[in-house]
Amino acid sequence: MAEPVEVFHVRKTFRRTVALAGADFTAGRGVTGLLGPNGAGKTTLLRMLATVLAPASGRLRLLGLDPAMPAERLAIRRRLGYLPQEPGFHRGMTVFEFVDYVAILKELTDRRARHAEVRRVLNEVGLAPVSGKRIRAVSGGMRRRVALAQALLGEPELVILDEPTAGLDPELRLRFREIVSRIGEERTVVLSTHQTEDVAAVCQRVVVLHHGRSLFAGTPAALIEQAAGRVWLDAERSPTAQLAWRNGDGLVRNIGGAPAGAELAAPTLEDAYLLLVGDRAMAVTA
Amino acid sequence: MNGWHLDEATVTRYAHGRVTMAVAASVEAHLLACAPCRALLTPAVDLARLRSLWDDVAERVDTPAPGLVERLLRLARIPEDTSRLLASTPSLRASWLLALGAVLGFAALASEADERGTLLFLTLAPILPVVGVATAFHRRLDPAHEIGLAAPYPAFRLLLLRSAAVVGVTSLAAAGASLLLAGPALAAAAWLLPALALTSLTLALSRRFDIVHVACGVGAGWAAAVAGAQIEGGRFAAFGTAGQLACLLVTVASLLALVAYRDRYATPLGGA
Repeated sequence: MAEPVEVFHVRKTFRRTVALAGADFTAGRGVTGLLGPNGAGKTTLLRMLATVLAPASGRLRLLGLDPAMPAERLAIRRRLGYLPQEPGFHRGMTVFEFVDYVAILKELTDRRARHAEVRRVLNEVGLAPVSGKRIRAVSGGMRRRVALAQALLGEPELVILDEPTAGLDPELRLRFREIVSRIGEERTVVLSTHQTEDVAAVCQRVVVLHHGRSLFAGTPAALIEQAAGRVWLDAERSPTAQLAWRNGDGLVRNIGGAPAGAELAAPTLEDAYLLLVGDRAMAVTA
Repeated sequence: MNGWHLDEATVTRYAHGRVTMAVAASVEAHLLACAPCRALLTPAVDLARLRSLWDDVAERVDTPAPGLVERLLRLARIPEDTSRLLASTPSLRASWLLALGAVLGFAALASEADERGTLLFLTLAPILPVVGVATAFHRRLDPAHEIGLAAPYPAFRLLLLRSAAVVGVTSLAAAGASLLLAGPALAAAAWLLPALALTSLTLALSRRFDIVHVACGVGAGWAAAVAGAQIEGGRFAAFGTAGQLACLLVTVASLLALVAYRDRYATPLGGA
């Protein structure tokens, strides 16, 4: 049985910049998180999954269809919801009007049924009370929810969310996690994020992208397992550690090759991710 | 408690919407204060009817009030969903229409001075719909471009609808401005075929190139053609019979190319 998302050796270059250098992964029902530093190729890959960008080479299958074929691309778009990284809005429209406008683009032509669907998605993201407000008058967090609402129109089977929690305060991030988790119970959701906490909280699968390649694809537990025996606590920074930082309790959390006799700690997803992306992580945190 | 209660028949009639307004008002006032009567009402309510009523209320409250452009489009019997898509076209916004009117008005007034003013108007009028069409489709000018790209709405239909609306509105404005034009009446309509030719050529070429680049190239090419014809055959040579025939040919060829390659516009991909 084919998975709803299948990515095989996908490559993409923009002029001289290699955005994707052979990404591979599959995603089934539930939430799959793409994790990676800036420039890892997450947005390029998600734009391909949203059928708005074609790979230079490699193979992509979405919902069992080939997005390279126009007729199949259209069929995918009819079953797809997409939240871009920087969603644009007609700022003079009200929240309801904007989502209604996208609903028309999603071929919901019957007015009453369309409006009922708009009300449903606005309720789902908690925006019903501000549906009459102009988009230019609502906060950034609310705009993010407007963008999520339009992605949920028509109950799509495949939902692509590019950094849905970027720039949100902790309360809103929790709210987003709750919504995303609920969607993922019945559909396939692929989201990108910088936040390992988001992945740990809602993703059943994680794909780590780095320099356009997928370094890891599996469950968060399997990723954490890779860091077993490589995280230890000490009074001082260890010279053998790839990364080290002092915790709130005064101890230094070292990750890397643990010396003999070190007091090992249970690794987190963040530890495993930092170990995996290695040099890049050190450059970012230095 | 107010000492009296509704009888079951009245409650049933009220629940099914079969009482007069006066009785309904009286029943509602009583229900607010009487829990036993509310309990009597609950099983009598037809849930399907209640849901339908509630949907009606929500529909009335939520339905967006259409703007001026959308109202005009609906007056022209254009369906509600199509009107909404057209009204969100960047080059059909009030600011664009005002700028368009101003440019054409000034160019038409310039024709009062001498023939150079008329030539300016005739050169400018066909370029304006090209700019409008480019504005309607450029990804940086449509804030929801990326979202729209991933949606299944037929892109070719949207292309034709928005182009027709932009060309129609611009042509109406140009026709209005041409009434102010000094000189023979026939000259006032000489911009129409060039406008159709430049716009259809822009749309046909946009399949392969960025539409703003195409619009700039087509506009510049048109200005060069007018200037070249002026040197060769007199001030209005580009608008003579040969020029009009050439424009007709370009229009027909471009429209044929658009139709022939319509599948390529159907499910477009985005750029970097």
